[in-house]
Amino acid sequence: MKRLLSVALGILTAIGGFVDIGDIVANTETGARFGMSLAWVVVVGVVGICLFAEMAGRVATVSGRAVFDLVRERLGARLALVNLLASFFITFLTLAAEIGGVALAIELATSVNYLLFVPVVAVAVWLVIWRVKFDLMENVFGLLGLALVVTAVALWRLHPDWGGLLGGAVHPAVPQGEGHPSWWYFAIALLGAAMTPYEVFFFSSGAVEEGWSRADLITNRLNVYIGFPLGGLLSLALMAGATLFLEPRGIEPGHLSQAALPTMLALGKLGLAVLLLGFFAATFGAALETGLSCGYSIAQYFGFQWGKFVRPADAPRFHLVAMVAVAAGALLVLTTLDPITVTEYSIVLSAAALPLTYLPILVVANDPDYMGDKVNSRFTNALGTVYLLLLGVVAVATIPLMVLTKAGS
Amino acid sequence: MRRTWVAVLLLVAACTGPVRSSGVYESKAGQTAAAAASAVETAMLAVDGARGGKAYGRYLTQVLVEAEEDAGSAQGTFDGIQPPDQRADQLRGRLDELLDQATGTLEDLRIAARRGRFAELPELARPLPKVAERLGDFAEAHG
Repeated sequence: MKRLLSVALGILTAIGGFVDIGDIVANTETGARFGMSLAWVVVVGVVGICLFAEMAGRVATVSGRAVFDLVRERLGARLALVNLLASFFITFLTLAAEIGGVALAIELATSVNYLLFVPVVAVAVWLVIWRVKFDLMENVFGLLGLALVVTAVALWRLHPDWGGLLGGAVHPAVPQGEGHPSWWYFAIALLGAAMTPYEVFFFSSGAVEEGWSRADLITNRLNVYIGFPLGGLLSLALMAGATLFLEPRGIEPGHLSQAALPTMLALGKLGLAVLLLGFFAATFGAALETGLSCGYSIAQYFGFQWGKFVRPADAPRFHLVAMVAVAAGALLVLTTLDPITVTEYSIVLSAAALPLTYLPILVVANDPDYMGDKVNSRFTNALGTVYLLLLGVVAVATIPLMVLTKAGS
Repeated sequence: MRRTWVAVLLLVAACTGPVRSSGVYESKAGQTAAAAASAVETAMLAVDGARGGKAYGRYLTQVLVEAEEDAGSAQGTFDGIQPPDQRADQLRGRLDELLDQATGTLEDLRIAARRGRFAELPELARPLPKVAERLGDFAEAHG
């Protein structure tokens, strides 16, 4: 019974922890401009993150070591450094976006300028990273993130034309007045938001933090194969809400407040309050994950002691990196750079860096020296290879599309 | 020498300069109208929420503040562009009239919301549907 509860808790936190500021912004903007025509990208992204997160979790569970720990050993210092630099830069940008997202969520509840909250948020994130136990931190923010289920409830209460929404999703077409380059640019943004690299760093490092053994391989699979797709449904609910309310009115969302309009109109004050709690929890939880991922990636590459399973005094360089990353992220937001713009760039650049993150995972997950009999199956390898080819095309196309569409504007 | 030229080109590119083609100017006018229409429509949804008692005052205030900022920012950017010819002057005049109506009404809404007079919002917002429609038509005609 205790085991069952633990698995259920893991699944719930995976659902609640799936959505972050990137998903909120990308899905709302896409729904408002292109309706449900890019919903297929969310599906592609969710399958991709399931595939590679399962691999990363399995690697950590079987070897007892996190991904970056093995990447340097398996691929050599130089190649691993390229991987580290690209991944760290994207994770840092995402961290800044999440800190800004938390401040924006508080601004919506208080109507006080978000910049005033940024230092407070940064200190709170750092304190939680430093002081709060890993499982407590993960469970609290994962479960609070479940508040975003309110977007799906709002959609259901609106009694939409389900056939129309589904039709738009399964017959994707570029809407009138929009160009193909912009459509593809937003497809890349959605993919970047769904497959952002920090998710696998955090997932694999989290498996080590929680001391997973081979007995936990089933937990790994259930968390990934049930939790992430259900989290993906929340992304689709955000997209559908924007499709119903914002697209017909020609609203081009540039603020977090606009992502809340459909839920507010469908469910009123209570729904709005739950949604704002969900925004706060999702962004705060993701700020913790990205802050920790900054520390994980650097510490694992350089071989420093890392993790929250040891006392902070025993992993000083890991905590120092996390602290400096959080402070620098807050400073970036304090330059008054719009957090939504930071988010938009972080998810698109994340898409450009995806092959650098996921190729090493595929290589390590196939190495019998580390994995023994738990190497990838042929099916997993075939699917992984298809995804890497896709991610390669995405990486090549991202920057030209960004220039061509003036970042989707 | 080459570096100096690159620096000069970058500086020039960073400025909002005159638009030489009236077609480009017209396209920018259309984009501005679309951005302002988006802000107006957002405010209308917020007022719908206020009318039904569906939202907290602070949230409504924030939505209205941002809508006003968006419309004002779109107008400010457009007005900073040098119109290339007389036809562009006329276009500018027509769009500015619409933008003034939009920003004026959004300003009234923001002031009322900041003062907690949420019951007045529906009445103050009465011009918005017409303004949104005209901005939308303008954006469609010139986008």
